Amino acid sequence: MHGVETAQFSAVVIIGLLVLFYGGTFLISTRIGKKDENADAYMTGGNNIGFGISAASMTATWIWAASMYASATSGYTYGISGPIHYGLWGALMILFIYPFGKRIRSVAPKAHTLAEVMYVRHGRSSQLMLAGSNVVGSLISLMSNFIAGGVLISLLSPFNFTQGVFAVAAGVLLYTLWSGFRASVLTDFIQVVAMLGAVAVIVPVIFFAAGFPAAFESGAHNLTPQQGSFFSSTAFMNQGAPYIAAVLAYAIGNQTIAQRLFAVKQSLIKPTFVTATIGYGAMVIGVGMLGVLALYIGFEPTGGDLNNLIPEMAATYLSPALLVVFFIMIVGALSSTADADLCALSSITMTDIYGQAVAGREKANPKTMLLIGRITMVLATAAAVAFASLQLSILDLLVFVGALWGALVFPVLASFYWEKVTSKAFTTSVLAALAVFLPVRFSWIPSGLAFGIVVDVLAVIGIGVVLGLMTFGFFGTKPAKVVGVLAVVVSAPFAIGSLHEYATLSGSLVAYSVSTVICWAMSVGNNERFDFAVIAQRTGDFDDGSAQVVAVTDGADRGAGVPRPAGGTHDEPDLAASSK
Amino acid sequence: MSTLALSVYVLMWPVIVAAVLFVISRGFFREWAEARRNGERLI
Repeated sequence: MHGVETAQFSAVVIIGLLVLFYGGTFLISTRIGKKDENADAYMTGGNNIGFGISAASMTATWIWAASMYASATSGYTYGISGPIHYGLWGALMILFIYPFGKRIRSVAPKAHTLAEVMYVRHGRSSQLMLAGSNVVGSLISLMSNFIAGGVLISLLSPFNFTQGVFAVAAGVLLYTLWSGFRASVLTDFIQVVAMLGAVAVIVPVIFFAAGFPAAFESGAHNLTPQQGSFFSSTAFMNQGAPYIAAVLAYAIGNQTIAQRLFAVKQSLIKPTFVTATIGYGAMVIGVGMLGVLALYIGFEPTGGDLNNLIPEMAATYLSPALLVVFFIMIVGALSSTADADLCALSSITMTDIYGQAVAGREKANPKTMLLIGRITMVLATAAAVAFASLQLSILDLLVFVGALWGALVFPVLASFYWEKVTSKAFTTSVLAALAVFLPVRFSWIPSGLAFGIVVDVLAVIGIGVVLGLMTFGFFGTKPAKVVGVLAVVVSAPFAIGSLHEYATLSGSLVAYSVSTVICWAMSVGNNERFDFAVIAQRTGDFDDGSAQVVAVTDGADRGAGVPRPAGGTHDEPDLAASSK
Repeated sequence: MSTLALSVYVLMWPVIVAAVLFVISRGFFREWAEARRNGERLI
C-alpha cells in the first residue's frame, strides 16, 4: 500500500472551504456580539450556560487535532487495544474532574481561573505556578493545533505549511477576538456537530471501502501477538499507564477545562462532564480505529510519518465529498481547541495579571480588561505561529507541562478541601516534586540499583496517590485511603525493581508522590484554619454590567461559598480527615 | 477475536458518537427554544 496516490483539493476549493468554515463561525459569533462587551462574560459567559452548549464545548475543546492523530498512531503501533489506551484515559480526565469541579464551584462560584482562587487561598507564588503552567500549556496547545492545520492544508492542497498555519491562525482569531469565551462556546456547538457527524459517517465508510470485515482475516498476519491482543501489556505500559497517571494532572492544570467549569450552570456540571466524557471517548477511539484498520491492511504512511496516517487513509478511501467532510472535521477539531486556548490565555492575563496583580480587584477597569484580553489573543496567536515554525518537539513540551501539572494536583485539590494547607507547603511541595521529576523523566542520573529502588518506591506511592485521589473525588476519604493503600500494597511487589525503566510513567508518578508527601507533612501540624468562605467573597465579578447577562441562578448556586464544618459531610468528602 | 467481534468493536464507536450527537443537539435546541420563548439570550 506504500505510495498510494492521495486526492488533493485545488486552491479554489481549499480557499472556499476555509472561507465557508471560518466565515460561517464568524457570522455566528457576530450574532452574539455586543457593542459593550462585558468583561466577566468575555471570560466565563456569565456562569450560567446550559447543558447543550456546555457539553458541546467541553467535548470540542478536549478533542484537538493531535488527539485524533495520536489515537490512530496508538492503534497503528499497539494494535487493537491501542485506541482504548489513548481515548479511554483521555476521556476519564473529563470524568474524574467533575466531583472536584463541583467542590471548586461551591467555594468559588464566580471565579474566572483556578489561579485566581489559589491567589486568595495562598497568595502570589501558588497563583504564579498555576497561571504560568496554564500559559505554557495553552501556548503549546495553540502551536500544536496551528501545526496540525498547516500540515493538513499542505497535504491536501497546493498551499504550503506556512500558508496553512497563517490561514488557520487568522480564521480562529477572526471569530474569537470580539466576543471571547461566548463566541468560543457557541461556535463549539457547530464544530462538535461537524466533528461528531463526520466520525459517525467516515469510520464506517473507510471500514467497508478498505475491504473489511474480510481484511481482518486476510491481514491478520500483519499484527504481532501483542498487537492482536486486547490485553496487550506493551500497549498498557507504554501508552495506557502514563495516561492514567496524567488523568488528574491534565484536568486540574488545564485552564480551558477550568473555564468551562466556571461557565456551566452549577446544577449541570455532572451531566455536562459525563456527556463530554462519552463523546470524547467514542470519537477519539473511533478515529483511532482507522489506525487499527491501517495496520491490518499493511498501509504505510508516506515517509513513515505517522502524522500522515489519518489524512492519507482518508484521501485514499473517501470520495471527494466525504474528503471535504473529513477536512472540516479536522479543522473543526483544531479550531475549537485553539479558540479555547486563546480564551484561556486572555482570561489569565485579564484576571491574574491585570485584575489582581496590576490594577487590583477594586480598581480594575472592565474596558481596560477587555482591551488586554483582546491584545493577549493577538499576541498569543502571533507567538504560536512563530513557535510553529521552530519545529519544537510538542511531545517533550507536553510531557514537561504534564509533570508540572502532576506536581500541582495534590496541593491544588487539598487546598480546596483541607483548611490546614499553607502557602509554604504548597510552594515547597511543587518545587520539590519538579526537582525530583526532572532527573527521573530525562534519566539524568544513571539508574543504578539504589537510585532505581528509590524511584520505584516513590512511584509506587504515586500509584496510591493517583488512585486514592480518584476514589476520593467520588466516594470520600475512607474509601480513598483503602484504595490508596491497597494500590501501594498490590503494585509494590511488581513495580519495585522495574518501574524506573519506564521513564515517562515513573516521572509522572514521582511528581505526584513527592508533592503529596511534602504538602501533607508540612501542613498536618498547622494549627491555623483557612475559612473557605473568603474565596467566594474575593473572587467575584469585575464588571458591574454582568447583572444584565447573568440570568437568575438556579437553586444549587444559593449555597455557594458557605463554609463547611471541618469534618466534611457524606456528600462532600473531606481531605482533611485523611490527615488528622 | 473473531471477525464479527472485531467488526462490532470497530463500528460501535461511530454509533455511540451518533447517540452523543443526538443528546447534545437535543439539549442545545431545547435551550435555544426556551431562551427565545423567554426573550433571553442563549449565552
